[in-house]
Amino acid sequence: MNEMSWPPQVPPPPPMPVPPPMPVAFSGKRSEFFDLAKRGAALELVTLGFYRFWLLTDIRRHLWSNTLVDGDAAEYTGRGKELLIGFLVALAILVPIYLGYFLIGLEAEHYQAFASIPLIAFFFLFGQFAIYRARRYRLTRTVWRGVRFWMSGSGWIYALQASLWGVLMILTLGLVLPWRTAALERYKMRHSFYGDLQGSFEGRGWEFFKRGWWLWLLTPIAIYVSPIAPFIYAGYKAIEWRWWLSGIRFGGVRVESSLPKSALIGLYWKVIGWMALLGLVFGIYLALCAVLVASMSGEGLMEFFKTPELMRSIPLLVLAGLGYLLLALSLNIVIRVYLTRDLWVKVLGSVNISGIEAAANVAARGDLANALGEGFADGLDVGGF
Amino acid sequence: MENDAPEISKTPPANAAIYFDGASSRRRAVVLHFSDRLEIVEDEQSLAAWDYADMRRADSPSGMLRLACLSAPALARLEVRDDALATELVSRCAKLDANTPGRRGVAVIVGWSLAAAVSIVAVVLFGLPLIADRLTPLVPEAFERRLGDVADSQIKTMFNAKTCDNAAGQKAFVKLITAIRESADLDTTVQSGVLSSPIPNAFALPGGKVYLFDGLLAKAENADEIAGVLAHELGHLKHRDSMRGLIRDGSTSFLIGLLFGDITGSSALIFGSRTLVTSSHSREAETNADGFAIDVMHRLGRPAKPTGELLLRVTGKEGKGLSIISTHPLSEDRLTRMSREDQSASGPPLLTPEEWRSLKSICNGKSDSAKKPDSAKKSGPAKI
Repeated sequence: MNEMSWPPQVPPPPPMPVPPPMPVAFSGKRSEFFDLAKRGAALELVTLGFYRFWLLTDIRRHLWSNTLVDGDAAEYTGRGKELLIGFLVALAILVPIYLGYFLIGLEAEHYQAFASIPLIAFFFLFGQFAIYRARRYRLTRTVWRGVRFWMSGSGWIYALQASLWGVLMILTLGLVLPWRTAALERYKMRHSFYGDLQGSFEGRGWEFFKRGWWLWLLTPIAIYVSPIAPFIYAGYKAIEWRWWLSGIRFGGVRVESSLPKSALIGLYWKVIGWMALLGLVFGIYLALCAVLVASMSGEGLMEFFKTPELMRSIPLLVLAGLGYLLLALSLNIVIRVYLTRDLWVKVLGSVNISGIEAAANVAARGDLANALGEGFADGLDVGGF
Repeated sequence: MENDAPEISKTPPANAAIYFDGASSRRRAVVLHFSDRLEIVEDEQSLAAWDYADMRRADSPSGMLRLACLSAPALARLEVRDDALATELVSRCAKLDANTPGRRGVAVIVGWSLAAAVSIVAVVLFGLPLIADRLTPLVPEAFERRLGDVADSQIKTMFNAKTCDNAAGQKAFVKLITAIRESADLDTTVQSGVLSSPIPNAFALPGGKVYLFDGLLAKAENADEIAGVLAHELGHLKHRDSMRGLIRDGSTSFLIGLLFGDITGSSALIFGSRTLVTSSHSREAETNADGFAIDVMHRLGRPAKPTGELLLRVTGKEGKGLSIISTHPLSEDRLTRMSREDQSASGPPLLTPEEWRSLKSICNGKSDSAKKPDSAKKSGPAKI
């Protein structure tokens, strides 16, 4: 990306020593991100997924370095290699745990049906730990004005809190979600720092609840009427983003967001539209391949379709496999462009920051954290802020 | 910093830049002096001097050159927005892009990924079968039976099948299976039964369970055909194929699932290659079980060829197409083998015509509620 940003291929803009004062801005070009996603998806395929560590890093580097707060761009200093090492170490820890889990689970089920459920709870706990540690890694790789963010606190205490709230979530059918999120964010933000500036979270569970309770009521309907599900999810995400951002404080720096409830609906429908379109193209492609192979086999078309030969013909399987790979590639790109980049830009556009003077002279502190948490999160397939 | 900003925009001095020293977030408007090192000067006072060879490019938004220096604090940054100045700096710093991986870096990643993939494939192809072979005899029978119990209830729910035990039919079935079992030299821990399902199939579960689907009985024309199938399944039990398959396929899925994240595209590749691997092992096990069945039938003085005929009747001609992804050898080849190694009947029939008729109607009176012949692949059962 660096090669692209400098020297610029396009005629240079008129010299502008200082950008106009804006609280938050995004300067990245959409086409640049699209190229990044395109290239990354292709490499991910070629490397059987191992490139994911570098692609994730490239995406973060692009988003971070184009995010300008008070005129100064942030920077992501993490590298793909760190993620790979974190993943390998996590793997070395997870493999024996998985094996132990299998054996203990089998024994437990033998004595009492469903006795292995507490073990699943252990994995949930572990997943929450991973989320906390992964956040810590990302935060310590985030640099603004030559000073990094960092995090203290304990991943295990966080995991314990998250799990206890999880039990309450189950008991109340998800109704305590706002209070759970608020409590966990308070813990995370209290232990987050920018230099010597301590963070805090002022969002209240009650405010979140007031804005989103009707979505909770609509959710059971969405199970039967699926077309409204994207509306509900997009509405929920928008409310969550706005509430979350508006609660963030670093010392005297206050973040505000004015994201409307409907802001993200378009993005989700665009993704659904692309999925439908790509699925249709894939279907047509498959049909064309089938006809082509059938006509080459020399048998009658109808006869060919009736026999199980259809499912066993090598050329057809190869063609279908190729088509499927292309479909998966394009879907990956669509999701990254809309739900990562566009969402980021949209949310960023709603942000306003006050009291930024408090961050004008902050002393650098804090150490780098390792990427073990990211590795666990990858191995356990969990994600979070 | 609020004071600095308007000042610069009014009168931008030559070689102006922004400097963060990495110790505080103070934004310093500085002037750069080019000498044998790059001098960073604020208000006539030198803040730092960077070696050109130590300077590296850091991520920046478009339209800005951002520099770091190896010999300075790790997060110290110099930001240059002026094009002419940036060009000057780029020309002086020879190793500016030494940290950016570029094409070679990507090639290294691709190369190592492919090497890792090859090594994993080698482990899956050669290592895991070997481990499974060595481990299977070490697995206690009790443990295997426990697995079988779990698989048993799963299978019955999956195929929505009930056990058929109409008295006369059950008697004939017990007579048949006992004869085969004794000839196969297996003890009485073997459990077996007929399940009501229209699917023409039979399978063995870990821990000594053999099931025959009613659908196969319906397609069979004589007791020898079914006897061969049962002998084949007992062959799987004798070789503990289910257990071996479970260890092998389970660890394959585990290894692959853990290593390759959940990327839609490559998981298709992985699924494809796994099908190839497991089915080649499975074909080998099937061929062995066929050999076992032929031996058992010969020991009983009965022909093995009818079983081959039954198989062909069930599957139809499979001749053309892809044989490397099927879990079983082609029915034609199995029939050919059974015919080639066949001997004419020398012993008495295994069932009287009367008993054969009762066996065929073992599920009588019960409506078949089973549906969809969806032979969902579980790693548990080994089918005919």
